[in-house]
Amino acid sequence: MEDLLVAMLKSLVSGLLMGLVFALVALGLTIIFGVMDIVNFAHGEMLMIGMYTTVVLSPWLGIDPLFTLPVCGLVGAVLGLLCYYGLIRYLLRGPMIAQLFGTFGLMLFLRNLALLFMGSEPRIIHQGVLVGKSFLVGPGLVLESTKLAAAVLSIASFWVCWWLINRTKVGKALTATSLDKEGARYMGISTESMNALAWAIGGASVSIAGGLLVNFWPVDPNVGLLFTMIAFATVALGGFGSIRGALFAGVIIGLIVQLPPVWDAAVRFLAWEPLQGVTIHSFKYTLVYFIYFLIMVVRPQGLFGWKQ
Amino acid sequence: MRKSLVALVAALALALMVPAVGLAGGKEIKIGVIYPLTGGAAAAGRVLRNGAELAAEIANQVVPGVDMEMAKHAGIKSLGGAKIKLIFKDHQGNPQLGADLAKKLIKDDKVVGILGCYFSSVTKTVSAVCERYGVPMINGSSTSPALTTRGFKWFWRTTPHDKWFTKDLFELLMGLRKGKVRGVKAVPADQLSVLAAACEKTEWGSHVSALIKEFAGQYGFKLPVNLLYAAKSPDLSSEVQSLIAAKPDAMLFASYTSDAILMIKTLKSMKAKPKLIWGQDAGFDKPEFRALGADIEGILTRSVFLPSVAKVKKVAGQVNAIYKKKYGINLDGASARAFTGLQTWVYVLEKAGSTDPKAIQKACNSIKIPGDQLVVPWAGIKFANVGGETGQNVLGMGLIGQYQMKNGKLGLEIVYPFDLATADMIFPFKGY
Repeated sequence: MEDLLVAMLKSLVSGLLMGLVFALVALGLTIIFGVMDIVNFAHGEMLMIGMYTTVVLSPWLGIDPLFTLPVCGLVGAVLGLLCYYGLIRYLLRGPMIAQLFGTFGLMLFLRNLALLFMGSEPRIIHQGVLVGKSFLVGPGLVLESTKLAAAVLSIASFWVCWWLINRTKVGKALTATSLDKEGARYMGISTESMNALAWAIGGASVSIAGGLLVNFWPVDPNVGLLFTMIAFATVALGGFGSIRGALFAGVIIGLIVQLPPVWDAAVRFLAWEPLQGVTIHSFKYTLVYFIYFLIMVVRPQGLFGWKQ
Repeated sequence: MRKSLVALVAALALALMVPAVGLAGGKEIKIGVIYPLTGGAAAAGRVLRNGAELAAEIANQVVPGVDMEMAKHAGIKSLGGAKIKLIFKDHQGNPQLGADLAKKLIKDDKVVGILGCYFSSVTKTVSAVCERYGVPMINGSSTSPALTTRGFKWFWRTTPHDKWFTKDLFELLMGLRKGKVRGVKAVPADQLSVLAAACEKTEWGSHVSALIKEFAGQYGFKLPVNLLYAAKSPDLSSEVQSLIAAKPDAMLFASYTSDAILMIKTLKSMKAKPKLIWGQDAGFDKPEFRALGADIEGILTRSVFLPSVAKVKKVAGQVNAIYKKKYGINLDGASARAFTGLQTWVYVLEKAGSTDPKAIQKACNSIKIPGDQLVVPWAGIKFANVGGETGQNVLGMGLIGQYQMKNGKLGLEIVYPFDLATADMIFPFKGY
């Protein structure tokens, strides 16, 4: 019984941490969707570029990977603006399908650009304050410093976004743009700038997430896809465009993927012969998408969605 | 009547000889080589290509200072000094593309035979094409055991496969219990009895997982956790948590590159303390993995070639020196096996003395290349049909290497087979 409880506690903690990381990755995606109704398929590629920024800058400047995060944010914001002014602005004139394929094309373009310049070998950070460090809290309960930092950053980012949108004029203008473009324009809001701002925030937040993740996860040009799939599920689960939804959905997904160790402990605890040695690790993402599927059937707008 | 019979026989003989003479007369023998030269495995593709190229180069000219039969004369002697010409194709990790490329090589380029394809999944489709057209294919580096259980008549594999490699691991574990390992006193059986395994869940990993289960049963080890995981996963902490919870003496992995790195980083941050960590090659034998440095000291990986083989095998050292001069890196498992694959082609052609597929088939089925000709530490190459396997080299052997720090530099030392050991084994693993 004790083993089972310990396993549950461990899963709860690492699920919470990883969930906040998932939420952080999904934040930019949900902001862009909320303001513009555009699904950005290139989201994961912006994460990848953030990761590469840290991998290249940190050894080159001889500084700790943590200090490259502001640069990552800057690179991400500039990239977001470039994408908006160079491509998305024109796509908005076309039908929905053009926007879908447009960002899909952007994804392929960025990925192959990375392949061209960085090569296909995975790269990783080996030195840094966070790399490989962890704290032992209680019996067998380990807090990984990278994930802890990412989780803290995630909460901070969500708070900043919430504050920006609910407490500032710019935020009101953003909300107005997402609620009613025409109306916002009549009120003198430059919706063009609001769109660009959404892309800048989206790009910056996901690139910072990338810069932090690379302390832990090796980067290669295809890494974006891993996180994009989860980010899409997070955003859809939480409700397209909902910032609060992304936070909750991220945590839910983080907890779901931590179920297998609990299952293992439960199987050992029950000691029922036919179940011994049966693990559910290979199905953990199936579980995520299954729950996502259920929510879609029952509540198509997502848990906290307000856009239909 | 008799005259016409003689004429007929002569004509037949001539007809049979023409294609062989025709090709040999061109002084060029085309071999199609299909590897993943772009895409995710491009790095592996590059060294595979290097290995095959170097073997062709050594075969095509006299290379003094290399104690190999094929280095002593230029080209294939029995074919009038015909030169080997390699035609490289890129399958990008795609089995369907591989099959199409094989068709093109056979029909348009008129290759004599095929070498490849590294990915077991691609080797599977390409060998099926070769079987259909009756074109010989030699495979140097695909380790899915299923490839040689299909009863194919035109497919031969030089490398030992995962079943042998996994068995090697259990032999090492038994060796540890019996005190046969260099530098380690016999470990009491109860201190080395619980295993936990995590393998990635594609065809390769799930097969390794099944083999681990099979051998654990045979050798009497406990295996409370034997899980499969998605290699393309953003997080492995749930897997590691399950592994640690089983309190295993040894942790066993079959991982690709990125997930192997993530696995070690997660093990470290979650403070895993097994006595032994073993990886089934692949990700555990990549330069990116080696870059983890001190964190992987003491970790074992099975391999087919390690730079330290050069210490115990002269010809390996000679070839490695040329390879390093040419490409700037040491031979590794991929390049050494690609080299050996093409080398086998050269010896087979030498023995066949013809480019006729039937003659090559006959040569393959009867050839025996002695171990002293090879860069890999095998007893030799001999294809046999044993235990339901067709075209499998039965003289191959796996190695188990251990990452060890020497003068601040990380290297792989051989710890198995016991008689080839190049260093004392570090046991138990220090833990994180």
